[in-house]
Amino acid sequence: MTPEAWSLLATGVLLVLLGWAIWTLTRLRRLAARVDRAWAVLDAQLQRRAGLAEELARNHPAALGPELAARLAVGAAQARASRTDGDRELAENALGHDLHQLPADLPGVPAALRTDLAGTQTRVALARRFYNDAVRDTRELRGRRFPRWTGLHRTHRLPRYFDIDDRLGAVIRDADPAGHRGG
Amino acid sequence: MRIGLVCPYRWDVPGGVQYHVRDLAETLRGMGHHVEVLTPAEREESVSDPFLTFAGRTVPVPYNGSMASLQFGPVSAARVRRWLREGRFDVVHVHEPATPSVSLLVCMIATGPIVATFHAATTRSKWLAAVGPMTRPWLEKISGRIAVSDFARRVQVEHLGGDAVILPNGVHVPFFAEGPGLPGFGRGTGGPPTIGFLGRYDEPRKGLPVLLQAMRGVLRRHPGVRLLVAGRGDADELWRLVGEELRPHVTLLGEVSEADKAAFLRSVDVYCAPNLLGESFGVILIEAMAAGAPIVASDLDAFSRVLDGGDAGVLVRRNDAAALGRALDELLADPGRRAELAARGSAAAAQYDWQVLARRILAVYETVLPAGGGVVTAGTDDDFPAVPPTGTAARPPHIRRPRR
Repeated sequence: MTPEAWSLLATGVLLVLLGWAIWTLTRLRRLAARVDRAWAVLDAQLQRRAGLAEELARNHPAALGPELAARLAVGAAQARASRTDGDRELAENALGHDLHQLPADLPGVPAALRTDLAGTQTRVALARRFYNDAVRDTRELRGRRFPRWTGLHRTHRLPRYFDIDDRLGAVIRDADPAGHRGG
Repeated sequence: MRIGLVCPYRWDVPGGVQYHVRDLAETLRGMGHHVEVLTPAEREESVSDPFLTFAGRTVPVPYNGSMASLQFGPVSAARVRRWLREGRFDVVHVHEPATPSVSLLVCMIATGPIVATFHAATTRSKWLAAVGPMTRPWLEKISGRIAVSDFARRVQVEHLGGDAVILPNGVHVPFFAEGPGLPGFGRGTGGPPTIGFLGRYDEPRKGLPVLLQAMRGVLRRHPGVRLLVAGRGDADELWRLVGEELRPHVTLLGEVSEADKAAFLRSVDVYCAPNLLGESFGVILIEAMAAGAPIVASDLDAFSRVLDGGDAGVLVRRNDAAALGRALDELLADPGRRAELAARGSAAAAQYDWQVLARRILAVYETVLPAGGGVVTAGTDDDFPAVPPTGTAARPPHIRRPRR
């Protein structure tokens, strides 16, 4: 082959690689944005849950009993604190377990607060799933050969899964009898 | 909330996904949301309602036992883009986006929160295995995934490498619960006991031959028993299957409208689902429970799940005519047990009511919405590559399973 043909071929290959790199970068950017969005929602719902637990412990200790109220207050405070430092999964898990032990009827607690709490727990579960889904997609793409060799998004931190036990409300349990199987 | 629903199958052809989208749209609109539907159709005239937008015609290809609608090209893309721009939706909800359909097109073009529902439940689909990885770059844009059953979720996990929240198919419970029965039949009117069957009766996997075999035994104990058969199929074939002995006891209703189906379910003393295999969900059982019919069904996983493991209906071993006959016998002889099953069935059906499910789906929408709110728009034109880039296609997806 003539030098012209060689250079043409090389240019072609380069162009394909460049196109591929741009496409991969688009995907990575999109995924990073999705992870951020999903985390913002999850974070907001977790904060909301901690806030509701605090409110419950502060305003309705009679309905919970003094021991559970105290534990809930501590759990909520720790969950809040863990937002900036500490093991957040651990703290949120502890709070989740405390909330799980709430008596079903909660006498004297306004219906609005109860609905709010149940709704928030459902949304925590949903948000966590969607967040982990986004993380999984990101890690999958980042783990492929092309992004690794080209170092695309190398400076970005690899997102972490957020694992807590959120099998709480009947809504999720009913809707998903085998949610912790097969994945 | 402004919601855009996308149905990938032709609107004027009956099908589970179409009904799902239609019912969801109706329910959400009833709750005060603004809902629009983008859908292909066989004829443009059949897309007449103002909230529907015609997405073009489709090329049907066999997929998952039925016909998927292949749809691509610049005209469809332009329609999708216009629909997204004019709709200014808070969230777009696509259905069955893993096939190259208008749903996938929406995933390619839209920027913003996308929710997707997966319906297909075949665990081994060569088509999905081949196409799944290719569609991956656009399925990555979906922020919230819903599967209608555990099986649909498994497809999602195995072929497409993602997880999904399970939110089942819904049923308009009041539509089935209240209304008249079929003329000439009626539960509790003192007439002869009636057993109901609905489905394609000439398909052996629907199990009608097993039921007919069982009926011969039931006939000995309940000489007046009648079997009502509703559904499509070849009538001559049915009568040949039925045989001389049973012929006077069988009534063929043929294909029934939704209203007639509800009346039929309200009229039978026992509803029987003798299916041998392959039901992914069993909407008909929920409809029967909503109509207050006690159920005898074969022990498929999907049926067992709908019937709460046998609490809300009688489960018998599949393809066992003797066991089925015994179960029918006992139930027909025991009105107390029938009433008890009907009550439990109604309670079980209530959790599948569209009102309940639509609220759960709204919770999913709210979870994917960004905090400040936002609008789904069409991406810029060059954001949408004309040809799907290959390269990822040949390789199976590296699915990193989450640690559990």
